[in-house]
Amino acid sequence: MTAPGPSGPIIAASNVTRAFDGKKVVDDLSFEVDRGTILGVVGPSGSGKTTTVRMLTGTLGRTDGEIRVLDEDPLAFSRGTRSRIAYMPQLFSLYEDLSAQENVGFVAALYGIGPFKRRSLIRNALEVVDLYEARHRLARDLSGGMQRRLELACALVHSPDVLFIDEPTAGIDPVLRQAIWDELRTLRDDGRTLVVTTQYVTEAEYCDRVALIADGELVALDTPDALRKLVFGGEVLEVGTDRAVDPDVLANVGGVTGVRQPEARKLIVTTEDAGSTTPQIIEALRTAGIGVTGLEEHQATFDEVFTGLVEQRRAARSEETGGHADV
Amino acid sequence: MSDAMQGISHSVVRMASFTGKELREVIRRPGALLSLILGPFLIMFLFGLGYSGYRAPFTTEIVVPAESDFSRSADAYESLAPGRLEVTQVTDDREGAEQRLRDGDIDLLVVAPENSAAELRAGRQTTIRVAWNEVDPVYDQLATLATSILVSSLNAEIVERAAAEGIGFAEGELGPAADIPPEVIARPTTADTQNVAPTPPQVTNFFGPAVFALVIQHLAITLTALSLVRERTSGQMDRFRVAPVSSMELLVGKYIAYAVLSLAVSAIVGVLLVGVLGVPLLGSISLFLGIVLLLTFASLGFGLLISLVADSERQAVQLSMLMLLASVFFSGFVLPVTDFAEWMQYIAYALPVTHGIATLQDLMLRGAVTAPWQLLALLGIGVVLYVGSLLRLRRVIRTAD
Repeated sequence: MTAPGPSGPIIAASNVTRAFDGKKVVDDLSFEVDRGTILGVVGPSGSGKTTTVRMLTGTLGRTDGEIRVLDEDPLAFSRGTRSRIAYMPQLFSLYEDLSAQENVGFVAALYGIGPFKRRSLIRNALEVVDLYEARHRLARDLSGGMQRRLELACALVHSPDVLFIDEPTAGIDPVLRQAIWDELRTLRDDGRTLVVTTQYVTEAEYCDRVALIADGELVALDTPDALRKLVFGGEVLEVGTDRAVDPDVLANVGGVTGVRQPEARKLIVTTEDAGSTTPQIIEALRTAGIGVTGLEEHQATFDEVFTGLVEQRRAARSEETGGHADV
Repeated sequence: MSDAMQGISHSVVRMASFTGKELREVIRRPGALLSLILGPFLIMFLFGLGYSGYRAPFTTEIVVPAESDFSRSADAYESLAPGRLEVTQVTDDREGAEQRLRDGDIDLLVVAPENSAAELRAGRQTTIRVAWNEVDPVYDQLATLATSILVSSLNAEIVERAAAEGIGFAEGELGPAADIPPEVIARPTTADTQNVAPTPPQVTNFFGPAVFALVIQHLAITLTALSLVRERTSGQMDRFRVAPVSSMELLVGKYIAYAVLSLAVSAIVGVLLVGVLGVPLLGSISLFLGIVLLLTFASLGFGLLISLVADSERQAVQLSMLMLLASVFFSGFVLPVTDFAEWMQYIAYALPVTHGIATLQDLMLRGAVTAPWQLLALLGIGVVLYVGSLLRLRRVIRTAD
């Protein structure tokens, strides 16, 4: 159960900019995060994700803009607000000469949790990340993946309301990545608010909302499904046919906004609403004497989504600058 | 529990977390502790054990010309400067002796005048040539001193011989007019020396407390510097920035850890010094512990200062070693602080170990601190550095640049 907070968004960033030596690393970023949701900050390495998270936690100042977290400016967090926040840094920063249990205990003590109450909380946190059996091992003897999980356990130990987690799955095998995301979603289901950065674009699928960042700018901000629609102009159907077909067959079908033919017997059809358009597509193909061998919603990968969004942004920039965009 | 009590309780927990963490880290790295902290002092300890303070006498040749009335007994010359000369031979081969000096076969060459008594009677000074071949400034000074003693003794011998001749002449011409022995005429005064210090001046006694003070300072500086630099460079500082922990809680936690560590090391080194090496502890144990705590407090400030200016562990170690070097040279460990220029003495007195050595040597070897202002100086250095470090750390810990 999370503590009561403001009625509006838990996190609000407005026109936030951060420059280092005059060079903007984060440029005019604005977004909000509602209680009990996961915001995925997705982008390639060096795109400004960590800088964004550090500004949200108050560990880094900003050049311009406003940030509110739990209704306070991160640069002036009260102790009470700090105790409701957790931050998991991108790099392993715990103490190598302490055991897993001692590291988690140390972080718990930073939040003022006494030794008796601490014991059960440490156990819970270590069990969540599946490290309880390794609790006596020194941090330096843990594998890279275990160290990331230990960092996560440290972030969880004081039951924070808001978690800022920087690249939790970097350098971790796919199975463990899945497990970590399962845990993050469980925390979300428990009412906690999470901001998670990742350079794995596919992990955007696990988030409630996704902020795509490139070159320090917000390329897009929406739910994963909405971002797909944004890229492809609607919902996408993949239609298999029993013989080669001319895409123009579907040109006059109402609700169809685009048709591509990646293979002779396959059409990728973009529609405004797949539910209402599907029967019309089938009918149009039958009328042309073409049998439908398969029809399913095309789930574009987030690599495609991200690439599409970045290309759209470049095209827009190019138009604005008369074909001389430098991005 | 009221909010205030809960706040205090949480604060104590946070400080204790740093204390516990620091102690665990130190204990888990015994190798680093040994090499970084105890290594240099193990060498000093061996030096103290192996160095007796005894300086070998100068290997000396005496050249006495054939016609000279000087003695040709090696023992006679050795007795003129006891313990400082080892006369290998008395010869009239000046060329050969000069060559042996140039070759480094002997340390010192003394060439007696040809007829000193006759020259004296004629009212002229004679010259004793003394030469040595030494590049070490310390040995150069010692050779000068040995020469001075030798020449003084030889002068007295010459005067004594002349006086004896004079008394003999007076007795022959005037009867027993004078009954003053010639050696009294030659050496009318003698010295009755006494060192009134409560403990005899021995190398181990004198350097034991000094090494102990250096151990305490170096331990505190190196470990604190390393600890904070590691936290700054690893990203751990970001965790502190987010957590509800204050700079003061962080500092106090670390201070307590190193105070505990210093007391533990003090106990071990103290037992070694007093129990094994036999260094006296004439003063009170409580004042001894007080000095240790003050020295630790002041030294931790320097460690924090280093940690706030160093940008890597390597640089922190280098700066810690520079502090050790500065302390060895300027603190009174090797040379008295008063031997330095006045401006240099101000720098020396800014080092905690300068006051640590002086007060510990006083307390252990004399039974009391003869300059109590040095205790206040330790406190002052500690307070200034603590406040400065706290203000700086407060800025560092709250928001990165």
